[in-house]
Amino acid sequence: MSETAARTLARMFERMSEVIEAEKDHLSELDGAIGDGDHGITMSIGFKAVTTALAGMNLETASPSDVMSTAASGFLDAVGASTGPLYATGFRRAAQALSGRDTLDLPAYRDMLTAISEGIRDRGKAQRGDKTMLDVWLPAAEAATVAVANNLSRPAFWEAVKTAAENGAAATATMIATKGRAARLRERSLGHADPGAVSAAALIKAMASLQP
Amino acid sequence: MALKTSASRKGVAGRTNGADGLDTIPLRYGDDPYVWACWLYYEDGMTQGEIAEAMGVSRATVNSYLAEAREKGIVNISIEPARLASLTIAQELKRHFGLADCLVVPNDDDTRPLIGRLGAAGAQALSKMIKSGDTLAVAWGRTILSVGEHLQTGPLQDVTVVQATGGTTASFAYTPELTAAAVARAISARCVNITAPAIVGSAQMHDMLLAEPLIREQFETLARANRVVFGIASLRPNSTIHTSGFFETVPLQHYLAKGAAGVLAGRFIDERGRPVAGPLDDRTIGISLDMLRDIPTRIAIAGGFDKVPALLAALRGGYVNVLVTDAATGAGILRADGVTSLDGKLSQRQRSVPVANSYRTHVKKFLNNPNDVVEEMLDGLIAAHRPYIETVGTSRRALVARNGPRPGKVGLVIGGGTGHEPCFVGYVGKGLADAVALGNIFSSPPPDPIVKCAVAASGGAGVLFVYGNYAGDVMNFEMAAELAEEQGIPIRTVLTTDDIASSPVEDKEGRRGVAGNFFVFKIAGAACDRGLTLDECEAITRKANDRTYTVGVALESCSMPQTRRHNFEIGPDDMELGMGIHGEPGVSRERLRTADEIVDAIMDNIFKEMKAEAGDKVAVLVNSFGATPLMELYILYRRVEQRLAAKNIEIEANWVGHYCTSLDMVGASISILHLDRQLTELLYHPCRTAILTIEGHETNGAARG
Repeated sequence: MSETAARTLARMFERMSEVIEAEKDHLSELDGAIGDGDHGITMSIGFKAVTTALAGMNLETASPSDVMSTAASGFLDAVGASTGPLYATGFRRAAQALSGRDTLDLPAYRDMLTAISEGIRDRGKAQRGDKTMLDVWLPAAEAATVAVANNLSRPAFWEAVKTAAENGAAATATMIATKGRAARLRERSLGHADPGAVSAAALIKAMASLQP
Repeated sequence: MALKTSASRKGVAGRTNGADGLDTIPLRYGDDPYVWACWLYYEDGMTQGEIAEAMGVSRATVNSYLAEAREKGIVNISIEPARLASLTIAQELKRHFGLADCLVVPNDDDTRPLIGRLGAAGAQALSKMIKSGDTLAVAWGRTILSVGEHLQTGPLQDVTVVQATGGTTASFAYTPELTAAAVARAISARCVNITAPAIVGSAQMHDMLLAEPLIREQFETLARANRVVFGIASLRPNSTIHTSGFFETVPLQHYLAKGAAGVLAGRFIDERGRPVAGPLDDRTIGISLDMLRDIPTRIAIAGGFDKVPALLAALRGGYVNVLVTDAATGAGILRADGVTSLDGKLSQRQRSVPVANSYRTHVKKFLNNPNDVVEEMLDGLIAAHRPYIETVGTSRRALVARNGPRPGKVGLVIGGGTGHEPCFVGYVGKGLADAVALGNIFSSPPPDPIVKCAVAASGGAGVLFVYGNYAGDVMNFEMAAELAEEQGIPIRTVLTTDDIASSPVEDKEGRRGVAGNFFVFKIAGAACDRGLTLDECEAITRKANDRTYTVGVALESCSMPQTRRHNFEIGPDDMELGMGIHGEPGVSRERLRTADEIVDAIMDNIFKEMKAEAGDKVAVLVNSFGATPLMELYILYRRVEQRLAAKNIEIEANWVGHYCTSLDMVGASISILHLDRQLTELLYHPCRTAILTIEGHETNGAARG
């Protein structure tokens, strides 16, 4: 490989930041319907901070695990809110899952996606069906597990992960929120996709577009 | 038309009145034969013939009077709105999903449990459909058992009721056996049970049992069913499916992980209604999804928001052609499937027309770079309030009270997002909060500044965290508490939950913290400043929170500096009741009312929970959400005072103004702190902060901000 694994991950975060920047207004609009209208802004601040933090690293010598934990602290210190602890915990778990690895094969990405989704689940104490970003991260991680078990090719792996994420985000429109601010809206949250789920799908799409 | 005439019918009017043959219209009908005819018909209950006689006109004339009276609007026949809504929803569901029929229970009667109302409606639907000679398959469940309990039919012959699945442990009241038996009993039908377990240990056992002649015969009956009635279970954590003993927990998790959205008659389907394969499939004895779909009349009875995804899945999969549900769930299903025309059909009044966007698309604000608002505000704020606060080190997101923390005193750390000014920073100073951690607009601060605050506020006696109950704040403050405790600082936390509109009283802990923060912070700060222990400070703060009640109303939503657009629109004649402080929608959208009516609605809510008696004392906070001026706040305060006075509740102290805002939102909240002796003393405990200064004990409502 011509570039280090750490550099690949850093590039992935850059792409995620670009996608969030492009989707920022749309995400805030979605959030306006059932939340306080700032999700796009929060995600944008968080991923910009990640990019800045990663820019300060020596990507020739850093490990993928280092990149993940730097991303975690960068994100958390910049945003707080609820996405802060959730993604920071997810990225921190991913750092643990990648520790000791210096190549990123498909099992590594599977472990990374699984660790992120478990971190988010444990921190937010949410479950599938609660109309949150977990409804995207969990199916995506599961699709990754199945893809690796079935020996899928790299493009097929990312296609499966992306599709699972997109379906998950769309399904949140049929759910009643039970976590976060939207929970107080009860059935008024129906018909609206969860902004956290939509941004999660956008992040996964960004990862998949690189087919790392 | 509420008055009843007391005069006897025949005495009201008669041919005898007019010697010349012309009838005089009695005075009360104001010379209007239409009103007269209508009154006699609708209010006195006379027949058209009797009216003709009374009025001295022909029956045909009476008939035309009555018809024209409706055209002229003298008589309005209205269907009760809740019933009309349920009819509309039923019609939409029927159309959208191509159902044979649909029955929707109105949600106007929340006094009876939903299961019972659905059971009664299901029984009604079933009694209309079931015919002599039918074979009816019955699945298990609470709702279907309730159908059996409500079911009454005319005399029917040769009806067979067959249990749709095998049996289960009898540890609950709605087993397949009992459910089928209840339905069979109600219609005096022959009952065929499936005498095998619903779930067996292995696929071999399944095949062996189905090969048994007795069970095969039972299955043949099941295969002949021409109608089936079943419930739909969700896989949500609170679903009875987890506790019924029907399924083992481990396989359930498997189905959940594979995207199962609902369960019908023991079979799992995904959100599009496709079967979800799993370890129980070969071990389940009962009707299969294909068998179910082949039955001509498939009546599903289910309701409750948590079942929306499951119901939608069953409808999409074509498993249902007769649906019985409740209005709220029905509307939820339609919305979830993207039907947007419903709202227009539901509201009888003209929908509020959005104000033309061309007039103004952006809210005007004093801004430099919108991305710098928080930093620039902090510059100004730290400079303006220098006598009270200073930064912790170089972090401007962690501010500490000058002369606040001292050795031996419990430290009080508050915090939250910005955009609520003067909350939270205005309550930092001697005698009140020791430190505040600030986040971005409406966003919790990250753990780092909170930990810095805890360290700065710590005087060796522990630190109390007090903040509003929001998912983000809870996660960040919890992470910070763990980090602070690692540094040897004992942390206690009290979440403020004063917004009584945000959740029902059964879910008090789930309520959010809003402007009532003001009282909780004040009491907590005083308790800490008096040198009480961490335990005592926590207990008193909890008590203050338990006795603080807030309800807010918004007239216009707020706008973020970055977007300069309203977060959402409130129609020109509407208001949002139960509004929080983050620009998220409130609890219900209602027609705008007068100031007194709004206060009355709020106070009625508060009185429902506050157990105050005549002679009790309270503190009152009438708070602006940002854009509502003091003039209007005083109008609200006036009515609050009247309502409390009428109950002989004394206002010990009051604050009217901007105490906890939501950027530029138009609206206000009313908070009441139900005082006792201890809380009164602590309320008057001296403090010096940018927004609230109390010099010492004052009485008779003289405490001023």
